[in-house]
Order: sequence, then C-alpha cells, then structure tokens
Amino acid sequence: MIARCLAGTVLGFPLSAMLLALCLFWLPGHGQDWLIPVLLLFFPLWVGVMAGSYMFRSGTRAWAVLAAANAAVFALLWLSRHLAGT
Amino acid sequence: MMKSSTIRTFQTVHTWTGLLAGFALFVAFFAGALTVFHHDIATWQNPPWRSQPARDMPVQTMIDRLLQAHPKAGAYFGIVLSPPGSAQGPYAYWNDGEEHFATPDRLEQATADEDAPTRSHLADFVYALHDSLGIPVVGLYLMGIVSVIYGLALVSGLLIHLPQLLGDLFALRPGRNLKRLWQDAHNAIGVLSLPFHIVFAVTGALMCLFVPLFASLNLVAFDGKLNEAFAKAIATAPTVEAAGRAAPTLPADVLIARAKAAALATGVSTFEPDYIHFTHYGDANALVQVRGVSERTLGTYGTIALHGVTGEVLEEHVGATHTTNGLVNSSIYALHFGNFGGRAVQWLYFLLGLAGAFLFYSGNLLWIESRRKRRHAEQPGKTWVMARATVGICIGTCLGIAAAFAATAAADMLGTDPAVPMRAACYGSVAFAVAYACLRPVARAAVELLAITAIAYVAVALLDLARNAATWSQPWTPASTAVLGVDIAGIALGIGFAWLARASWRRATHGDVFSVWTHARQVRAEA
Repeated sequence: MIARCLAGTVLGFPLSAMLLALCLFWLPGHGQDWLIPVLLLFFPLWVGVMAGSYMFRSGTRAWAVLAAANAAVFALLWLSRHLAGT
Repeated sequence: MMKSSTIRTFQTVHTWTGLLAGFALFVAFFAGALTVFHHDIATWQNPPWRSQPARDMPVQTMIDRLLQAHPKAGAYFGIVLSPPGSAQGPYAYWNDGEEHFATPDRLEQATADEDAPTRSHLADFVYALHDSLGIPVVGLYLMGIVSVIYGLALVSGLLIHLPQLLGDLFALRPGRNLKRLWQDAHNAIGVLSLPFHIVFAVTGALMCLFVPLFASLNLVAFDGKLNEAFAKAIATAPTVEAAGRAAPTLPADVLIARAKAAALATGVSTFEPDYIHFTHYGDANALVQVRGVSERTLGTYGTIALHGVTGEVLEEHVGATHTTNGLVNSSIYALHFGNFGGRAVQWLYFLLGLAGAFLFYSGNLLWIESRRKRRHAEQPGKTWVMARATVGICIGTCLGIAAAFAATAAADMLGTDPAVPMRAACYGSVAFAVAYACLRPVARAAVELLAITAIAYVAVALLDLARNAATWSQPWTPASTAVLGVDIAGIALGIGFAWLARASWRRATHGDVFSVWTHARQVRAEA
C-alpha cells in the first residue's frame, strides 16, 4: 500500500509534468495560447496517477511500470524537441 | 464493475487521506465560507460611521506623496484601491529591486512585508486562517499539500461509491440506523457538490503551491523555459521601454475613469477598479494598467492597459476580450472566490462552504462510528482520541472565529490595535476547546462547547447591533446593509450551533449507550 502510494506520488509528478510538456509541444505554436488551461490539468493528472497506482498488483510493479512510463515519455519529449530542432 | 478488493483498497485510501487532511480542510472550509464576505467583514470591523478619515487618501495624492518620499518607485509601482463602500484604506506597492508595501500614513516607513498593510484587519485574518491556518509561509505550503491529499480523497471517495452511486444518491434514510443516515448525508453532499470540491482541490493546490510547483515543472519538463512562456501568457500590457523624456502622466482619476469606460464598452456589465499599476511614471512612454472586477463573467478579473500620457487604450483583457490564457487564469480566481455573480453566488458559496466543513466533520464521525464496538461499554482507544480531536479542533475553530470577532470589537472600543488580541483570542479558544474536550467526558464536552459557541456568535452579533444602534435610524447605505448582514449571519450561525448542541444532547441522553457519544458512561456491558 505505502509502496504503491509512494510510487504514484514520486514518479507521478515527473510523469504528469512531462505529459503536459509533450501535449503543449505538439499543440500549434508549442501551445503558447493554451499554456494556462494545460497547466491547470497538472494536479488532476498527478492525483489521477496516484489513484491509478493503487490498481497495481504490488509496489514493485508500480515502481517498475511508472519508471518505464517516465522513461518512455522522457524519450518522446526529447525526440520531439530534437527532431523539431529546438 | 469494480472488484471488491479494489473497493477495499480505495476505502483505505479514503480513510487515510481523510485522517491526514480532514481537520485542516474543516478549518479551510469554515473560514473560507466566511471569507466569501471578506469586504463585508472589513466593513463590519470598521464601518464608515466609525472609521478614522485619516486612513483614506485620494489615489493621486497618494501617488504624489509616494514619489516624493521614494522617487525611484516611479519605474514600477501600483496602488491597491480601497474597495467601494468599505473603510479599508488603499495601500501602495512598489518594486525598486525589492518589494515594498505601505499604507497612506506610513509611506515614509515602508515594509517588505506583504501582509503589513492589512495585519490589523479581521477579514484578512479570517482569510489567513482559510488559506494557511494563519501560519505564515509554511502554512500556505501545508495547505497546498492538504489540497493534493483532498484531491485524492475525492477520487477515492467517488470510486468507493460509484457502484451504488445512482441508486443511493437521493436516499436519506433516517431511522434507527444512524450510521446509515450520516453515511447518506456524507455521500449526498460529497457527490452533489463534487464540481465545487473539484474546483477547490485544483485551484487551492495551484494557489498554495504555485511557486514550488513552477520551479519543479521548469526543472523536470520545461527546460527552464516555463517562466518566459507563463509571463507571456498572463501579460495584460505591451512591453515598453522608458523613452528617457519626461512627460506628465494623466491624473489617476482620469485614467481609472477612462479604463472603466473602455471595459464597459467591451460588454461586461460591471467593472469595479481595484488596482492601478504604473510603469515609467512621468516618462513619455508611461504605461498604466487598471485591474477591475466584473460580475456575470468567469473572467472576473480584467485589465485595461493605457498609455500614461495620452490615455489611449493599448490593450483590453476584460470579459469576452480575454485570451484563452487570460480567461482561464481569471476564472481560477473567479471560481475559487465566488465573485462572479453578485450576492446570490456569494450566499451559494457560503452555504456550499459550510456544507464542505460538514463533509469533513461527518467523515470523522463516520470513522468513529465504523470502529464502534456494539454491545460494549468499552470503546476502542483510538475512537476516543478521534472524538476528542474532532470536538476540540472543529468546534474550537468555530468558537475561535467568534472570539476573533469579539476581540476585534473589544480592541476597537478600547482604541488599541486588534492584530494581537484577535489572534490570541482565536488560537486561545481553539486551545481551550481542545483542552476542554480532553478533560471533560467527550459527549458532555461536545454539547457544552457547541452551546458556548452558539452563545458566542449570538452575543457578538447582538453587541454589535446595539453598538451601532444609532445607525439603524439613519438612512441606510450599502455599508449599513453589509454590517447588518454580518450580524444576521452571526445570529443564524449561533442558532445553527444551538440546534447542533441540542441534537448532541439528545444523542447523549437518549441514544445508543454503547458509544463514545453517550452520557451514560456508568452503563456496563453486563447491563
């Protein structure tokens, strides 16, 4: 229980942040016109990841899956920025 | 359909989040419900017929005096205007590399403390209780974390009740099973006011954790580019450089009137200026921004940017002329403060705020009730602790706020500054209530503290009505209506507490004896 809670809280933070960054990056004009509505989604997303983490079978699994998701989103974000030349 | 093990998991999450955040949320909601009437409480403390006229000062006089005392302030400063119909005076803010704040009579001795100009204001103290439990800096972050936990409590609570949600939503089953009644009330309020609670969980977390959140988002995901993008997203005026040539800036009253006319021309029904900001005052490129509050739009806070010398309107960010960013930014405040729809929305927010406080209070009662041992006089130790804490802290907070009102009025009659007395009275009352709930049998403590609280609310209101007796025979102004409104709300709350005291007393004398809430401690299990 505690392990899943920690996984969701700790890894959910960068995951939510990077998902929003990715979403903004793909919006027209890198989402400048939508910055605040998208940032507003940060807390709902983070809390959603926290709540979702309790669905994992074990704490170890929660850490593993969320770490993989973080790595994947980080890679996507890095690739997007790299390919766009920024 | 959810598995029963999943439901049990979220039940545990709901219990723990409730335990961690419930007390702080009770304070936030009770004080927050009162904060809806911030201006009215400020007027109650200091109505025009009792206030010292020295505090008020025309905006232009204040600007001239400010620039005389601090010539460097002209590059970047603003005046927070006095709210209409209230005795709360204006104050100045400027930034010459450091932030300064000053009231009209203390322009020469500015402070770097944002709260200093309003420290003696009861309304601001109630607001501080609401947003930070009255604890500077740390309290705000604490309440931000509480808001995040609150979000998790909402999600888990909804998931638990999702399976039987529709069937039970309108069920309120009074009868012998009191736990069922409390559970029904808790669920109905939680679900029916869910949109309101989602708004507070999200906007509350944002407002409290804004600074650390931004720093971390910048670090984790935005390559340090977030600040610039954010500044651009919320900008309400073009960026201008000083021309280096002097030119007279138009008088503040003219600029405010022009901004108001421009705002109303965009189609909003009202625009009450509450802040005027100057960049490069006295320069040929002086820039002025007038911020105001419009009702009947979610973009309540709007800004008009004007050229300081010509008075030409440069940008409009009001009502329908807001950008998407501006509209969302403004509606975060509108939805949180409930200032978008006049008195009706204020009363709605007041009632929903009290209902929210009840949600957390009933959550604690349910926690105790579900750990109650039936047919046993001995109840688990943790339920005693929870009962004492709930009675002491929750009722103590209600009592503490009444005590802060009383201390403010007393300090005013004695002619002393109320800043220390109102804080001492409030925190002292909470400490008293907690001690009382620990030392007395808790069922008696609940009844007696509720009765004391009821008396306190009614007494403060009656004393204030008597104190202003001369005013009621004069022609009424919006200020007298505001003061009367605060007093009547106080009496209504007092009646509410008296009703709760009576209900608790009936529960203790006539209800189930196998509970922490009974007077009949002498009844033993073998009886």
